[in-house]
Amino acid sequence: MARQKLLRVNVPGIAFVIGCIVVFEITARLGWLTSYVPPPSIIFVALGQGLINGEISSQIGATLHAYFIGLALATCLAVTLGILMGTYQPVQDAFKMVVEFMRPVPSVAMIPLAILFLGLGVQMRVAVITYAAFWPLLISTLYGVRGIDPQALDVARNFGITGAEALWRVTLPSALTGIMTGFRVSATIALVVTVTTELIAGNSGIGFYISQMEQANRLPPMYAAIILTGILGFLLNAMFFQLDRRIVFWTPAAQDKPA
Amino acid sequence: MSISTRAMAAQRQADLPAASIPQSQRTVKGTVLSIATVVIALLAWEVIARLKHSVYVPSVTQIAITFWHEWFSATFRDQAVPSLYRMFFGYIIAAVCGVTVGVIVGYYRFMFRLLDPVLQYWRATPATAIIPVGILLIGIGDEMKILVIAFGAVWPILINSADGARLVPRERLETARVFGLTSFETLRRVVVPSAMPQIAAGMRTGLAIAFILIVVSEMIGSTNGIGYYVLQAQRTFAIPEMYGGVILLAILGFTLNTVFVFVESKVLGWHYGQSARTR
Repeated sequence: MARQKLLRVNVPGIAFVIGCIVVFEITARLGWLTSYVPPPSIIFVALGQGLINGEISSQIGATLHAYFIGLALATCLAVTLGILMGTYQPVQDAFKMVVEFMRPVPSVAMIPLAILFLGLGVQMRVAVITYAAFWPLLISTLYGVRGIDPQALDVARNFGITGAEALWRVTLPSALTGIMTGFRVSATIALVVTVTTELIAGNSGIGFYISQMEQANRLPPMYAAIILTGILGFLLNAMFFQLDRRIVFWTPAAQDKPA
Repeated sequence: MSISTRAMAAQRQADLPAASIPQSQRTVKGTVLSIATVVIALLAWEVIARLKHSVYVPSVTQIAITFWHEWFSATFRDQAVPSLYRMFFGYIIAAVCGVTVGVIVGYYRFMFRLLDPVLQYWRATPATAIIPVGILLIGIGDEMKILVIAFGAVWPILINSADGARLVPRERLETARVFGLTSFETLRRVVVPSAMPQIAAGMRTGLAIAFILIVVSEMIGSTNGIGYYVLQAQRTFAIPEMYGGVILLAILGFTLNTVFVFVESKVLGWHYGQSARTR
């Protein structure tokens, strides 16, 4: 089933993409565009070269490093706080207003603040990424905890599972669907914020590379790096999509067989 | 691609960030507790800031005074108004293009298949990465920001509108055919109304992206605007001003979202009421 689907390629879609690239190539070669837009072939060559000689590929490593640390930190913090807030009413009451105050602060507005305290290094970026990824995860964990079947908790209590053990064995697994939804939202936001932070004030990473190349007026590598961010986003998205289906395999969305 | 587009669409719907934290029963004790936490946090900040005399952490009162002086004056006109109108125009362009193209793309199956890879790609690209291209091609004026915002915010709106139009229940389309509606009439009277909740969801995501883009584009290439103001304040060590700018951004973000949710509930109230009844 899955293999058949894999073989079924979206022919018109891919043809359209190739068509666009060809038209772009021709117009650029004929000099109809400004000199600020090199032909795609030159961009792709620059991308290939950058990936092979390590100029671009080393920046992917830096970007993913900050990205995954930030996302992991945000997940741990948000899930813990979310489960506590969802389970214990006083905890929710205590943090509710703080959350409502902090959440609308756009994460990019935190960049100057983070630079002030943490400088321009990786820590600063990780802090901003964690901040950005924290909120969607927290909110959807709360919703996940809210949606728990009360009977499940009652059954657990009958078996003498209470307190921390109940949180670990009943609440966490039940809230997992909600958590995974939030996780994917956060994963998308985290990538945007990673690249943005690097662009504004990084000292490594793809975003930093893009701004460096822009200032050095080396346009093909700049465009190559921008294209690469899209590819990276697409791959991460597909990866988390599959991960989601593996982890919460019982939900209707995961069971929706390719039609 | 081994993922069915329908599953992807379902996933996208689930991926929309929730509007706020779930409502719980309000108790007097709970409300007191939540206000108390905020008050205690602010007091702790004030006390620590006064004791430590750190340049980086001005006291709450100092930030509040600076905020008052800065933003209830000409600074608001010079810095906040440009940001708001750039964002407004960029967002309007994105909304109009996104909804129009999205509904058409979703309605005609072939168009959807044709454009699907392009849409997937741009949706995955971090929107801020195109700001340097905008600066190169257009410069650092208002047009650059408006276009960058339009370009960044258009994809979620377009994709959600396309999903909404694509997944209109078949009965509705068949009913339209029975009544002899033309293609255009079906689009206007059946497809668009049915896709409204999805369109609204896409527009909400688009608004959040537009807000990020205006701040970032002003940080990277601008001579005014709130993003410029905040980064400049940090670079010149005008620390209370920086905090004030961040707070203003928070207030604006909160207000924009609240206004959007309010308008959405007014415009789409009939829709949600109807689906709740049939459910």
